[in-house]
Amino acid sequence: MRRYIATRLLLMVPTLLGVAILIFILMRVVPGDIVELKYAGVGAYVSQETLDKERALLGLDKPLWQQFLGWMWGVVRLDFGTSMWTGRPITQEIAIRLQLSVQLALMATAVAVLLAIPLGTLAALKQDTWVDYAVRVFSIAGLAMPSFWLGILIILGLLIFFRWLPPMFYTPIWVNPVENLSQLIWPALAVGYRYSAVATRMTRSAVLEVLREDYVRTARAKGLWEKLVITRHAMKNAMLPVLTVIGLEFAFLIGGLVVTEQVFNLNGIGMLFVEAIARRDYTMTQSLILLTAFVFIFVNFFVDILYAWLDPRIRYG
Amino acid sequence: MAATRPQPEAVASPAPGLALGTPRWLQATLHFARRKPLGASGGAVILLMGLVALLADLLAPHDPLANDFLAMFQPPGGAYWLGTDAFGRDVLSRIIYGSRTALLVGFTASFSGATVGAIIGVASAYFGGKTDLIVQRFMDILMSFPIIILALAVVAILGIGTVNVILAISVSMMPRAARVVRSSALAIRETPYVDAARALGFRPRRIIFRHMLPNVMAPYLIMLTAFLGQAILLEASLSFLGLGVAEPTPAWGLMLRGGAAEFAERAPWMALFPGLAISAAVFAFNLFGDSLRDALDPKLRTL
Repeated sequence: MRRYIATRLLLMVPTLLGVAILIFILMRVVPGDIVELKYAGVGAYVSQETLDKERALLGLDKPLWQQFLGWMWGVVRLDFGTSMWTGRPITQEIAIRLQLSVQLALMATAVAVLLAIPLGTLAALKQDTWVDYAVRVFSIAGLAMPSFWLGILIILGLLIFFRWLPPMFYTPIWVNPVENLSQLIWPALAVGYRYSAVATRMTRSAVLEVLREDYVRTARAKGLWEKLVITRHAMKNAMLPVLTVIGLEFAFLIGGLVVTEQVFNLNGIGMLFVEAIARRDYTMTQSLILLTAFVFIFVNFFVDILYAWLDPRIRYG
Repeated sequence: MAATRPQPEAVASPAPGLALGTPRWLQATLHFARRKPLGASGGAVILLMGLVALLADLLAPHDPLANDFLAMFQPPGGAYWLGTDAFGRDVLSRIIYGSRTALLVGFTASFSGATVGAIIGVASAYFGGKTDLIVQRFMDILMSFPIIILALAVVAILGIGTVNVILAISVSMMPRAARVVRSSALAIRETPYVDAARALGFRPRRIIFRHMLPNVMAPYLIMLTAFLGQAILLEASLSFLGLGVAEPTPAWGLMLRGGAAEFAERAPWMALFPGLAISAAVFAFNLFGDSLRDALDPKLRTL
């Protein structure tokens, strides 16, 4: 097991290096560079000399391999450099947003789990009845509705029925929990519903599968209370694949909420990414991509390990 | 949607009560409709959407691009069934023409993404060894960020516009198709007929295209239909961010962007109807895709 963990951790390095190379090259292919964009806002004529000076300041005049190695050397020391646009340290810029994004992702996950596990189990227990059909339609609808549209509808509903709008600015939860939650609960609901759809479907099929197992039949045959059969025998075993789905979706939520953040005017990682890419902020975009990729790969790895820990039958070589 | 009972009678056996002369595809369709009413209703909505897109010129009551500054923010009713937007454009006509954009982007993006992915997957499985390892690591890299982030990066490079959005979406879907198709192709590589083809001295290209690809049709079709809904949703999201289809092309996501949120209180119909159109389309594609997956291969339901 220890050997497996070590191998998996080591294998992350080439993948992340690949991600770094890919995004480094991609950013250089994007037409227009940050210096031109910065001065485009000035409006006046800017001489080539000024542009070159600015580029030299940002280190853009160096050969590409030097820029790349410089960046990588920084990453290894966990120094991501400064944003080319704002000049502030990238770690600082990301930290502010990450707080919001992680909280939102956690809340959305909570919403999804609270919806998915009871609904999915219910649908499985009442397979092929109207309850099952209702749950399935509810979950497919969740997949079909764009979360940004759901977000618009939520805002609209709050406005029309309560004449109230969620606060516009982010307050950290330890400063004012009420203010914080009254802003973030709505996007969490919009995203959580969509996210619950996948988990509900997975719960349903996993429970259905487990209910057909011999040990469930044995539990029933020995006259065990049906409620205990479901919770102790069926649910416990059905939760494994559900866990995978939830883990993967969580990884996606960090950075993948670009559109929802736009609707609710939240200054999270997704918004930062869109801004950075629009400004051709190379260092910022590169760091963000590397971060989302790292979270994605790491959560994947973590879920696999958790899987083996929860299910003693799984042994990685 | 997961049907766990095995359904071996998926496509074969002719439906009872049909005359002998009925063509096979019709029999199969009717059989599918009877076994999978939900999937069939999804298929019907897709057909309807296709018709609307084809006949947009006849169906749309107004020019989707025409501004009528005397009729801005008209509520639904009268000459404008679903109201007008901030530029006095007819919402219904824009939704009707928007179905063209959605279907065009949806079909071409998922088709090219799934096809290129399938070819890469099969080739990777066929050659195996180092080639397989390198290709799979490259796919890992492409799959290590959320789809929308990858699509955004591609759009940033290529710029906005319908063709670029199609490219962005297919690039994001390609590695997922490659991964799934490869795992099926690995089993096919070991079959006697592939061995026989190799023994006959056929070139890899011939074996891959003529012998292996036709046999991964089930996972390919499943991925393709699963992509359709996602592609439409992704196009809507990109357009909503202003990084998809360019104004003034009628596109559902774009309609939600242009002020729909700001004017939501004054003109809720602007936000309501395009979103309904997106949801209905994706809903139909998902229903259809799910049932097709159940019919073709019940084992793949967790995809």
